[in-house]
Amino acid sequence: MTAKSLAIYEEIVGRVAISQLKQIADDIEGARVVHVNSTKAGGGVAEILHWLIPLMNDLGLKASWEIVEGHDEYFNVTKSFHNGLQGNHVVLTPSMIEVYEQTVGKNADRLRPVLEEADFVFVHDPQPAYLLKLCPNRKGKWIWRCHIDVSHPYRKVWSYLKGLVSGFDASIFSMPHFAQSLPHAQFIIAPSIDPLSEKNCDIPQKEISATLKKFGISPELPVLTQVSRFDRFKDPVGVIEAFSLLNHAVEAQLVLAGGGATDDPEGEAVYREVVDAAQGNDRIFVLQLPSDAHRTINALQRASSIVIQKSLQEGFGLTVTEAMWKGKPVIGGNVGGIRLQVHNHHTGYLVDSPEGAALRMRELLRQPEKMLRIGQTAKQFVRENFLLTRHLREYLTLMAGFRHGLENDLIRV
Amino acid sequence: MAGHSETKNMPFAVKDCALITRMGGVDTAVNLRELRERIKVCPEACLFHHFMETLVRPSFDDPEFRNDFAVWSARYLRDRVLAERLGILNPYKFDNLKHLRETVVEIIDDRLSEMPFVPSVPKGDDFIFMQATTVVFDAGLTLDSPFELQKILPELSYSSLYYHFIEARRRTPQRVDDFTAWCYGVGDECEQLIEAFRTIDFYYLTLPELKKTLIEAIKPISLRGRHDG
Repeated sequence: MTAKSLAIYEEIVGRVAISQLKQIADDIEGARVVHVNSTKAGGGVAEILHWLIPLMNDLGLKASWEIVEGHDEYFNVTKSFHNGLQGNHVVLTPSMIEVYEQTVGKNADRLRPVLEEADFVFVHDPQPAYLLKLCPNRKGKWIWRCHIDVSHPYRKVWSYLKGLVSGFDASIFSMPHFAQSLPHAQFIIAPSIDPLSEKNCDIPQKEISATLKKFGISPELPVLTQVSRFDRFKDPVGVIEAFSLLNHAVEAQLVLAGGGATDDPEGEAVYREVVDAAQGNDRIFVLQLPSDAHRTINALQRASSIVIQKSLQEGFGLTVTEAMWKGKPVIGGNVGGIRLQVHNHHTGYLVDSPEGAALRMRELLRQPEKMLRIGQTAKQFVRENFLLTRHLREYLTLMAGFRHGLENDLIRV
Repeated sequence: MAGHSETKNMPFAVKDCALITRMGGVDTAVNLRELRERIKVCPEACLFHHFMETLVRPSFDDPEFRNDFAVWSARYLRDRVLAERLGILNPYKFDNLKHLRETVVEIIDDRLSEMPFVPSVPKGDDFIFMQATTVVFDAGLTLDSPFELQKILPELSYSSLYYHFIEARRRTPQRVDDFTAWCYGVGDECEQLIEAFRTIDFYYLTLPELKKTLIEAIKPISLRGRHDG
């Protein structure tokens, strides 16, 4: 991913939004900001940091990105943390904790000078959280940025991690429902999308048409698309059931596009189930795409009349935000962050069953003007609230707030 | 206009603001009785957030009620009577948040007494108490005359409009918007502007609606002011 400067976002978000960022950043100009996570490649956190660091520097801060390095053993432990925080019962032995603390300890020897000198340290997720205890001479504020839904963690995992993160000056969660009670302020910063990323940028109609042609999808019939891993929580079979219930009352095609499942035994099994469920219907396209097929996904979403995200369990659901940014109405499962984004008749429809999804597919497909209106409303909401400039503004606001005392309701900078 | 002469001929520095939201430090509520108990003890910042700051929060929603308690009552408790009783409250008509709190609790008490059971919601639909800190910063713009508002309003960010026209009412001594407070100091030529600002029923409008309403309301006055000036 190439670093982009703030100026190129002005055309999308407007002069005022960029000016707001500059005005807030003026107050913390020169602040040394360090972000720490455990990988520079892959995953949502790395994706955020790839744009966040250059934009913070563009605004006059001294932002840098450090990673905690480790071997497979360490990542197996942190994967257990991750699963445990999401509520799965995992095994956490004293030797696993030793591996974790020793690995972070080695990293601390390398990172301590830069971390202890920083004005703000953002520690992303649990992987580097132990660093706090190993940096006793901290000068700045340390903030734990939790990207995971920790509302119902496995108690044994949480009890260990709570001991680590309680010492931070604050924490940030993506949604109020994801938060846990901690002895410091817990801020809410919702995720965002990058409108210029491969996943979301404008692409020429020619490329969209070529993508449809490549997969044998007709440009003449409306397309309904669900983009998600082949995972039972995304309910791809339920989407096929809903599509089948249309029973040709409205002519349309269904695309189920997901990431590569070859390295995931369960993903492969679900993919097979989906292919079986789709068998015999030549208007259903089940596409197994490589994990970096961002432009293909972008083209498929843009070619769609409606985007479906009929999840049975979901985090924030950024695929919904991405669809809305492309001006598409969304039929979404009535769960998690989808509920924050999809509002009936307004930005799409929330559904609780395949029948509900079929009903809304039919309703929307029969009313193209309604699809258009909903799509436009959805895009405007994303433009105003869920692009990366808003995300950046909230980080800046938090830092400015810290500098002036967050105990006040109103701070003048 | 006595008492406002200190602002006479003072330029108006346009400000903007950004919110950072945090958990309110109060347990969530899963039923109406719990909502009442939490409202009774929550920090005033929570009340302010759920009644007044809903307009400037990042959201995908444009709900039918302006305060979160009414929205929750309608959407999750599925009690439209309660939602409407709460939704009609204009928090800016109360002397202070203490009175607002008492009124909300009273409305809920009334509703509880009318119902044969305590309505509740499933886990996950609980009411989460939030609060926010507002960070105010310079928008990089100064006005010399209130009649310039017509020109700059279309360019003004929604958060700036919120800060000057809505949030101002909790910090100006006269409990008016910043534009009106400025006009008081300028003098009699602003009377019509003051009247136009006064008649806007701002609390029930979204910020885009408020901006449009303001522009329309002051258009003829601004034009006259420019010609007269």
